Amino acid sequence: MSGIETALVPVGQALLSGVLVGGVYGLLSIGFSLAFGVMRIVNFAHGDLVMYGMYAGVVSATFGIDPLYAIPFSFLLMALLGAAQYQLVYRRFVGFATLQQLLAAIGLGLVLQMLAQVVFGADTRSAPSMFGGQYLLIGPLFVSAAQVMAFVVAVIATIAVEALLLGTHWGRTVRAVADDIEAAELVGLSSQFINITAFALACGLAGIAGTIMVTYYPTDPSKGLSLMPIAIIATTIGGLGSIRGSFLGGIFCGMVQQLTAMLWNSALQDVPLYVLLLFFIAYRPTGMFGFRTE
Amino acid sequence: MRPLIPIAIVAALPALPFVNNYILAATVRALIFIALGQAWNIVAGIGGQLSLGHGVFLGLGCYVTGILFNELGVPPWIGVWAGVLVSLAVALVMGSMTLRMRGVFFALATVAVSLAFDQLARHYVDLTGGDNGLALKFLGNSLWAMQSRWPGPFVYAGLVFMILYYWITRIILASRFGLEMRAVRDDEIAAAAAGVRVFRTKLLGFLVSAAMTALAGGLYMQFYQAIDPESAFGLGQAIQLQLPALIGGLGTAWGPIIGGALMIVLSEATNWGATRFGFIGVDILVYGLVLLIVVLWAPQGIVGVLWKGRRR
Repeated sequence: MSGIETALVPVGQALLSGVLVGGVYGLLSIGFSLAFGVMRIVNFAHGDLVMYGMYAGVVSATFGIDPLYAIPFSFLLMALLGAAQYQLVYRRFVGFATLQQLLAAIGLGLVLQMLAQVVFGADTRSAPSMFGGQYLLIGPLFVSAAQVMAFVVAVIATIAVEALLLGTHWGRTVRAVADDIEAAELVGLSSQFINITAFALACGLAGIAGTIMVTYYPTDPSKGLSLMPIAIIATTIGGLGSIRGSFLGGIFCGMVQQLTAMLWNSALQDVPLYVLLLFFIAYRPTGMFGFRTE
Repeated sequence: MRPLIPIAIVAALPALPFVNNYILAATVRALIFIALGQAWNIVAGIGGQLSLGHGVFLGLGCYVTGILFNELGVPPWIGVWAGVLVSLAVALVMGSMTLRMRGVFFALATVAVSLAFDQLARHYVDLTGGDNGLALKFLGNSLWAMQSRWPGPFVYAGLVFMILYYWITRIILASRFGLEMRAVRDDEIAAAAAGVRVFRTKLLGFLVSAAMTALAGGLYMQFYQAIDPESAFGLGQAIQLQLPALIGGLGTAWGPIIGGALMIVLSEATNWGATRFGFIGVDILVYGLVLLIVVLWAPQGIVGVLWKGRRR
């Protein structure tokens, strides 16, 4: 191999891992983005639902069931938990991302985190799937099979959500409520039903993201909180409220993270993302693609 | 005259025979968090901008004071002002980049900035002590180094902060600037239509609040003698900075005082329970529950519940 190729291999490796990790970041961001886009709810507890999704994988692995099979159950469980959260806490804040709403979400997140610690303990747990420990070679680059699988699931889930929102009657009603809640009620839509189902979907997506993530990334009760910055940055860069924007934002975050880890320092891999967030808020608050103008 | 009675009781505490160091230390903690809560109350309670990153200014106040003292021997009396200046610079950059937007973006950005500082503080070990944190060189009792083996002097320092910050809050509430901040909080568009320069008002409130937090951070550092990334930039600390104002009453001058005292009683009780029952992290659970309860059922805080209908 010539010198330039040898130099490019690590960059290609970083970009490839970044895309794969970023796909899952994208999936956990679209739920966060959906709740904001439809209901103007900033769900700081979203990461904690991802964490519960990770524990769903852990629990199924302890029963000897591959975590990948737990994905539908994880989706349903988190959707139910999300609906309960909506009824108990977020219902009164729909339409306004107020200081009170953000604080309520933080309080809820802390309670969920500590409950996880009571139930599952504070230890780090992992749940490898049938692809655990396998690697694929693509030319000079290698990737973990578990990450490829996670990326595939993330892409499928994202496309399914987009199809649901764009192609079904329910999706049209959700978009109608997101655009103008009063006009939607005037034409006879039940915003209460639409909001609760949309919020449940957002939380169910967090469950899927968690369960596929735990196949290659160990969890503990504080993981949910530590994933929130990525969701926040991916959605802001991709466009708060936009599904495909958030997914692409997630991939972008993964790439920046891996490149930083390779070129600079893995302990500081998130710092450029935080700086980017500030610049996006200041100069391009509609996100990289401007999918949403607001 | 009535407010003077509790002040006199607190001031007399160090001289009373039955008061041990534990009670004195808890009193100092309460006074420090009252001051910090009062500072956060300016930007969030009066200004309506949710800063989840006030740990940044607390941390900068602590780290700058501590590093200047350990490395260069600069006394905290001077060092803390360097911390205030650094905090003002950071707040200026943060504020001018994010405060033109709606509140959500500001809140999200403050989270990111505190996490960035967390990673930096953990990484530059030579300067900050990394994960283990930074401990002040202890010189024994020394007025010059603002150090004392006995918590007594810190009670008086804390009282000075409490009275000063209460007074600043009252002045702001009574001023045109305070009125403009509340107008922006209640309705940005209406405020702008009435001639309030919205961005400038928000930025100024944020700067005042950041400087007050960093200054109280100097006292925090001298009392605790140490700071680490988690207690400076962690979410737990960010919430401890918010609870006094939230429990007591957002946007009121009395709120953080009542709320800060209650929060310390609460945290001492839960710490006692945590060691008794071996449940680590129970304080976080209690903070989360308190946050939820206050926000959902008593958004006006204790002051709001007690003084319903009266002028605050």
